[in-house]
Amino acid sequence: MGYDWDFGAMAPYMHLLWKGLGVTFLYTIGTVISGVAIGLIVGLVRTNASTPVALPFRAYVEVFRCTPLLVQLVWMYYALPVLLGVSMSAATAAFLSLTLYGGSFYSEIFRGGIKAIDKGQWEAGHAIGMRRGKIFRRIILPQAVKVMIPAFINQTVMQLKNTSLVSTVAVGDLLYQGSIITSTIYRPLEVYTLVAALYFMMLFPLTLVSGYVERRMEIR
Amino acid sequence: MMGSADDVVLEAVDIRKAFGTHEVLCGASLSVQRQEVISIIGSSGSGKSTFLRCLNMLEIPQGGQLRIGAETYDFSRLRRPPRDAQLARLRRNVGMVFQHFNLFPHKTAMENIVEGPIQVLGESPKQARETGMELLVKVGLQDKADQYPQQLSGGQKQRVAIARALAMRPELILFDEVTSALDPELVGEVLTVLKDLAAEGTTMILVTHEIAFAADISDRVGFMVDGTFAELGTPQDVIYNPKSERLVRFLERFTSGNRI
Ligand SMILES: Nc1ncnc2c1ncn2[C@@H]1O[C@H](COP(=O)(O)OP(=O)(O)O)[C@@H](O)[C@H]1O
Ligand SMILES: [Mg+2]
Repeated sequence: MGYDWDFGAMAPYMHLLWKGLGVTFLYTIGTVISGVAIGLIVGLVRTNASTPVALPFRAYVEVFRCTPLLVQLVWMYYALPVLLGVSMSAATAAFLSLTLYGGSFYSEIFRGGIKAIDKGQWEAGHAIGMRRGKIFRRIILPQAVKVMIPAFINQTVMQLKNTSLVSTVAVGDLLYQGSIITSTIYRPLEVYTLVAALYFMMLFPLTLVSGYVERRMEIR
Repeated sequence: MMGSADDVVLEAVDIRKAFGTHEVLCGASLSVQRQEVISIIGSSGSGKSTFLRCLNMLEIPQGGQLRIGAETYDFSRLRRPPRDAQLARLRRNVGMVFQHFNLFPHKTAMENIVEGPIQVLGESPKQARETGMELLVKVGLQDKADQYPQQLSGGQKQRVAIARALAMRPELILFDEVTSALDPELVGEVLTVLKDLAAEGTTMILVTHEIAFAADISDRVGFMVDGTFAELGTPQDVIYNPKSERLVRFLERFTSGNRI
């Protein structure tokens, strides 16, 4: 092909990429934590509450699972402010949509993990006089967590990838900084190859951990 | 086996239970004396498991009365299900061993056994483990304390499950077909433990298909048909001198050679 690679042209702008990397990393950590918190609450309510109480929680999950994250993000940024009459920064809209989107998936992982445990485990706990809360904490949850780990890591990988969508509302993540540099030096091939490599370097170790954990769980 | 009223550990009167429109128990009654061993036999689907599960209220009956120790429940008057705490208190006195063991897979044999004593009875871990070890010796598994359920055979799992029930020192233990899920060569080791418990005066109700065994260790045998006791009496009466045609035919299936 004879393309003349020149990564050197990026050198003066590397600090922007590192900054973008930091933003991507922080968005991932932040929205994984908030998403897991929401997912835990929603998952618990949906497994324990009666149908009418659980209904709004189910509606939340379905809405966020069944619409694209990009649409949610754009809606939060451009539409929600109109509805509420408040302005929302791109950063806030991005954080909110990533959190709620992640939360809907995490809640399903928690719910699935809890439901996957044989009801004989509940009964065995009841039969020795344990109460529901204690059975849940000491018998069900430790087993459910094991079931959840692969799906949990999977979702977290997705969450990191999904942060790249925030660049569409000009939040300065890794991809956004890449596009800025590209428009300055006109070297998309070098810039986006490096951006992809940086994503890969963050995600590949995570999938290795995931595989390792799955293998360890099989042994037990 | 005669005794005063105080010797009645459990009294179930006219227990009724339906799932949807399907009436599974239609007025089953049973009174259990201290140290009594009662076996329940009957075809699959006749309601034996459901009856046992009503006795420790894993299922809440819709009619009838249940008296356990000082507590009495009148189910036809019950407006809402009993509270979790109340049920938990009742179940301390009524142990249960399941067909599929239901051991906690993330806990060792010893941890399975001490869970109830520590978490429910508030025993110290040290004391619970001492008692736990005595129980493991009793069921012949003293060298398996630190094994996880996956590392044990079916017969060993079931013996751990029995030790777990015993650790709560319940007034009464319910056994629901505890040898049915076992390979034939492992049935004997569990029956031996049950026989020892019976000889020690443990009050127990067993649902079983081991007819000869039931005849051997039971004070009374109940034959359940369509959610009620069609016959209830001594093994001499029920197993050796069955009155109903149905029971005769049921027993024939178990005495004419192989039962499977
Ligand atoms: N939780 C349940 N929901 C609906 N039907 C049930 C439930 N448990 C038991 N049954 C039904 O009740 C009947 C009696 O079941 P069971 O008590 O398990 O009989 P047995 O132990 O004598 O084989 C069966 O027809 C079974 O399908
Ligand atoms: Mg049964």
